[in-house]
Amino acid sequence: MKLPTDIGKDCARAWEAMPWSLQNSASQEQDEWLTRHLSQCEACRAEFEQQSRLRLAISLPPDITVDADAGLRRLLARIDAPDTHATAHRPRTSWVTRALVAAVLMQAIGIGVLGARLWSESQANYRTLSQATTPLPAGAIHVVPDETMKLADWNGLLHTLHLQVVSGPNDVGAYTVVASGSSASSRDTLQKLRATQGIRLAEPVASAP
Amino acid sequence: MNEADIDADATDRMLLQRMSAGDRAALAVLYRSYHGRLCRFLSRLTRRPDVIEEVINDCFWIAWQKAGTFHGDSRVSTWIIGIAYRCGLKALRQHGDEPVEEDMQSEDRFPAHCPDEDRELRDWLAKGLSRLSADQRVVVELVYGLGHTLDDVAVIMQCPVGTVKARLFHARVKLRNTLPALAGEPPIRKESMS
Repeated sequence: MKLPTDIGKDCARAWEAMPWSLQNSASQEQDEWLTRHLSQCEACRAEFEQQSRLRLAISLPPDITVDADAGLRRLLARIDAPDTHATAHRPRTSWVTRALVAAVLMQAIGIGVLGARLWSESQANYRTLSQATTPLPAGAIHVVPDETMKLADWNGLLHTLHLQVVSGPNDVGAYTVVASGSSASSRDTLQKLRATQGIRLAEPVASAP
Repeated sequence: MNEADIDADATDRMLLQRMSAGDRAALAVLYRSYHGRLCRFLSRLTRRPDVIEEVINDCFWIAWQKAGTFHGDSRVSTWIIGIAYRCGLKALRQHGDEPVEEDMQSEDRFPAHCPDEDRELRDWLAKGLSRLSADQRVVVELVYGLGHTLDDVAVIMQCPVGTVKARLFHARVKLRNTLPALAGEPPIRKESMS
């Protein structure tokens, strides 16, 4: 490639000035300088002639025919029907938007369900001293059956004394029993329990202070 | 910018102002005023008349909608050509880059009334431009055809002035080394210029 900067400072300056001189946008001083340089430099003169020819060729009307009136009619029709144009693009945008919204909703629901599950699982399985205890019915008795006592005997005893287990066994094997509508007093029941073989301990539940 | 340019720009601004108020007659005047220039400018990007019309209409569709937002930072012509350039690039992405094709340089594409001299000149130019990249063709058209300054071209192409200078420089070097040979003359050699 032949660079104009290789051919001298004045020729480079002339090269720079040519397009603007051809456009009539160069200053008068620049034009006069270029004219003087061209009168002395054959190479730049040839280049300028070619540039003039280039400008002339480029300024010719377009060789592709496009009907301005037909184009304007179509543009005005497009302006008259802006909604049609807008809706022509809507389905694709709308479809994408809907898909994104659906995905976000599904994620939100999933996170909600997961959060609720984790929250419920993380509920503390303990009781603090400040929490109110569920009050036991009056006449409740703690009973500790012997390890050797058969289940049938235990069930028979409860049935005979009209008792029902309301909690237990706890860590030491104690059940809490209450009378199930029997007319017998809790003291009688307590004595019968203590007298029964296979019952290691029977104590009334102390009322809360 | 000479006086004629200043007058033309003032008229264009007035038309834009009327367009922003919904004046379709103003749009029609501006459309017809720019149609020829835009056709020639866009013909440096694509040879398809349907694409050229589509781009011109996209350009004026945007101009119609944004006429009220034109603040006069540049000439109206710079603003409109800039919109057309961006619409043209978008159309090229959609339709594929179609540089000047050899079959389009045949005599058939010239109007029947085209004088022989013009036909020869067009052929000479088309062969020269076919050696340039699309960006170089656009810069050559903007500077030599539409008479824009380097600053204007930078605004239109949304690139630094230095980039425009480089594109113009390389386009001119390519044309200098190609066009005389195509015109049946010996190329201008560096040695002959020293």
